[in-house]
Amino acid sequence: MTDDRREIGDTHGQTPEAEPFERRTPLRPLARILRARDRGQNPDAIERENIRSRHESMRDTLRARAETRLFVVGMAFFIGFLVVAVRMGAIASTEAEEPRIADNSGASITAARADIVDRSGRVLATNLITNALYAQPHHMIDPVAAAEGLGRIFPDLDVEDLQKRFTGNRKFLWIKRNISPEQQQAVHDLGEPGLLFGPREMRLYPNGRLAAHVLGGAGYGREGVRAAEVVGRAGIEKSFDAYLRDPINEGKPLELSLDLTIQHTVEEVLDGGMRLLNAKGASAILMDIHTGEVISIASLPDYDPNARPGPVQGTDPSLDPTFNRAVQGVYELGSTFKIFPVAQAMELGMVAPETIIDIKGPIRVGGFRIRDYRNYGNELSVSDIIVKSSNIGTARIAMEIGPERQQDFLRRLGFFEPTDFELIESATGRPLLPNPWRTVNTMTISYGHGLSASPLHLAAAYASTLNGGTLIKPTLLRQDGPQNGERLISEEVSAATREMLRDVVVSEKGTASMARMPLYTVGGKTGTADKPNPRGGYYEDKVITNFASVFPALDPKYVLVVTLDEPEDRTGPEPRRTAGWTAVPVAAAIISRVAPLLGLRPDIEPSGAFALPVAAN
Amino acid sequence: MSYLEYNVAQVPSGLRKVLHLNWALIVLIAAVVAIGVMQLYSVAGGSWRPWAEPQLKRFGLGLAAMFVVAMIPIWLWRNLSALLFAISIALLLAVEFVGVVGMGAQRWIDLGFMRLQPSELTKITLVMMLAAYYDWLPAEKASRPIWVIIPVALILLPVMLTLMQPDLGTAILLLTGGGAMMFFAGVHWAYFATVIAAGVGLVTAVLQSKGTSWQILKDYQYRRIDTFLDPETDPLGAGYHITQSKIALGSGGWTGRGYMQGTQSRLNFLPEKHTDFIFTTLAEEFGFIGALSLLTLYTLIIVFCVISALRNRDRFSSLVTLGIAVTFFLFFAVNMSMVMGLAPVVGVPLPLVSYGGSAMLVLMVGFGVVQSAHIHRPRTRNG
Repeated sequence: MTDDRREIGDTHGQTPEAEPFERRTPLRPLARILRARDRGQNPDAIERENIRSRHESMRDTLRARAETRLFVVGMAFFIGFLVVAVRMGAIASTEAEEPRIADNSGASITAARADIVDRSGRVLATNLITNALYAQPHHMIDPVAAAEGLGRIFPDLDVEDLQKRFTGNRKFLWIKRNISPEQQQAVHDLGEPGLLFGPREMRLYPNGRLAAHVLGGAGYGREGVRAAEVVGRAGIEKSFDAYLRDPINEGKPLELSLDLTIQHTVEEVLDGGMRLLNAKGASAILMDIHTGEVISIASLPDYDPNARPGPVQGTDPSLDPTFNRAVQGVYELGSTFKIFPVAQAMELGMVAPETIIDIKGPIRVGGFRIRDYRNYGNELSVSDIIVKSSNIGTARIAMEIGPERQQDFLRRLGFFEPTDFELIESATGRPLLPNPWRTVNTMTISYGHGLSASPLHLAAAYASTLNGGTLIKPTLLRQDGPQNGERLISEEVSAATREMLRDVVVSEKGTASMARMPLYTVGGKTGTADKPNPRGGYYEDKVITNFASVFPALDPKYVLVVTLDEPEDRTGPEPRRTAGWTAVPVAAAIISRVAPLLGLRPDIEPSGAFALPVAAN
Repeated sequence: MSYLEYNVAQVPSGLRKVLHLNWALIVLIAAVVAIGVMQLYSVAGGSWRPWAEPQLKRFGLGLAAMFVVAMIPIWLWRNLSALLFAISIALLLAVEFVGVVGMGAQRWIDLGFMRLQPSELTKITLVMMLAAYYDWLPAEKASRPIWVIIPVALILLPVMLTLMQPDLGTAILLLTGGGAMMFFAGVHWAYFATVIAAGVGLVTAVLQSKGTSWQILKDYQYRRIDTFLDPETDPLGAGYHITQSKIALGSGGWTGRGYMQGTQSRLNFLPEKHTDFIFTTLAEEFGFIGALSLLTLYTLIIVFCVISALRNRDRFSSLVTLGIAVTFFLFFAVNMSMVMGLAPVVGVPLPLVSYGGSAMLVLMVGFGVVQSAHIHRPRTRNG
């Protein structure tokens, strides 16, 4: 009787005695009971009937609800089955194909940085596809063994540290930036699924240290698993970073004015000279005086841009191999400056090469004494002032020109601002100017003291003075033709200056006699400047020597500036430090090697031809 | 004769119970396990080791456990439900402290002879706990807020603990299975509608806010969500499993490459090919037909469970049977959708087929409870 109520969704209770509905017995309507008694019916039977019908209706509701719910869940099951089956059919009917790699992480990182090539299209910087190694420790089967395996492949890794990091909470960690294919295979052979590779574009400088300061170097910026951003760190890589990264320029290499062969020769000779002369550092700039193209620019010591060293701790930038002496280093350039007042005075019509200047000395001005290296007597021609390098003579000429016109000329030559050059470092090569510009400064600057500028400044100013007199801006990018810059001095003055520079080399009394060579004619001016002592004053025995040369001497095409830092020729009885004994022979060695490479025809000078103008003096 | 006397007289006792087992269900389960063992044999390159043989032993153990559980009267199980649930929660807490870290997540507790995953155990004990709760609770109270909060708390407790491990798959199974139990028990549909609407609203708000000024999550969190929801954008990273398993499914075609001929799975392209992704090897070797056959077997298991539940007039019995059927359904529905790229990879094994001791044993115990409910169902006087 009672047990047939027990349906799904029915009320609780296990035993039939626990009748839940009896607790909710309705009130007996007394009137109905009395009426029923009157009719002779059993009121208990009526009540039982009431309870039964109530139970039935409740049971029906509950069962209906339970059935609806089961139906809903059943439908959900059915839809689930259907979706799975349909999807299965859909996949089964497709062709199996390898997935295309939809690049997501790192898609925004531009790959394919443009190459850098020299003026003949030879590669200076390119890209290499390598792999970066990273780990996902939570996918590792045996993190400890993985760390040990990596330690065998990369001996520089700290195995214990790796084990600690592999078993920690990290889900991702980089292990190596670039690995070789052999290393990749070795890691692959470890068979560890938690060790993964991400493709990397690595910047490669196939020529190693060659032109290190020009190229600068590159590193990684934003890194993703799929790719990493290559960012220029220094040099042309940094100043042309946006160009090199622009996908539009992919396949269009950046053409430099450098010549790889000549750059190599210059660096080799310069390095040899620097060692022979016990110099701390050296730089050389070879520049086309018509186009402004820098054919070679070197700074020693150098570094390998493939592994650009970090900044050197300490105060002396000259010890940092990444310091570009040719562009960033500003030095008192000494007597090489002397041609500027002379050329300016000739341009102003104040003097001619044969004009005789009073060189009685010393000159006393504002507590300073201006003297010559040697006593050259009482008077010298303007030409001989250059040949013998008389400080007093140029100081007298500069005083005639006056500080305003002197400053104006030097400003137009570019000595007042950092060079406008394509290397990012050139902005830091800001010349040091005297402030205020006193009379003594006018005098000392005329022979290259009291104003510090970079060797590149000097090369550009020589080019502007000697190319016929038009302003030249140095450039590292390949040019198609000569720069037609602003005219600074006349053709005639430029030619006269060239002849004086030639005399410095060929004259018996000249300071650059070591630059004489059999096949090529060279003109130039030496410069030796005492190095300033950081504690004040100048060192007695430390010099910067320069040789600013031009060749072929009488129809010049190239300017070469060689600078040596603290050179010392110890082959003689006593150390020789002047430019004539240091910078000049190095420059001569460079010219004799690079002139054929530059395609210059040997100048077979009739012995008297160049002597004529001298003799005419 | 009282109901109890009648029932005791009618319910089989002793070894007679064996005759009253739901034998059809056992045959179906054995068939599914056979398919699993066959695939494990194939995946190992035609070898009983390292997977097929242990799996068979575990099935033997599971079958024994099922019989033992089935022999114990269902009302005893009902009375033990709360205790079993408490034990599994305690074990879940224990893995936080003494668990063995396996595959990046802390899920196992080492019992010496086997490693137990308490989260697997919880799938059954939660169903039993909720069935016992609704059996105890008068039906008309089921929808009152206070009586709704209690089962919600009972569900959320193990869900939180498994999320902490982290084991997203189990958490989803527990949450959905528990919700289904409440639905069966007759909790008012407005509760479910509210929860679903709130969930949909929250997800929509989070996704819609991306890129706007009121963006709710950080950018990197959105990127993670994107990869999680659509792993195919990262086919060599997060989406590796999915891509490879879809290649395997696709290369199987309609009729498959033939037994032991699956390249994709046997050439080790697929990680976890013997556990969560074993379905792909089946689909590759036997194609759509084979996969559909397995699906049919699963469907039949569920249908038999539902029929048993409908015919059982004991509220606990029918609820627990339905709950286990739902859990079973969720197992393979989530696994198959995951393998076929319909759902994110969350780590749910293919029930009775994937290699793994805990899941097999727990499911067999679950079916033991279903059998017990079936054997000890109340009989009508005339039938």
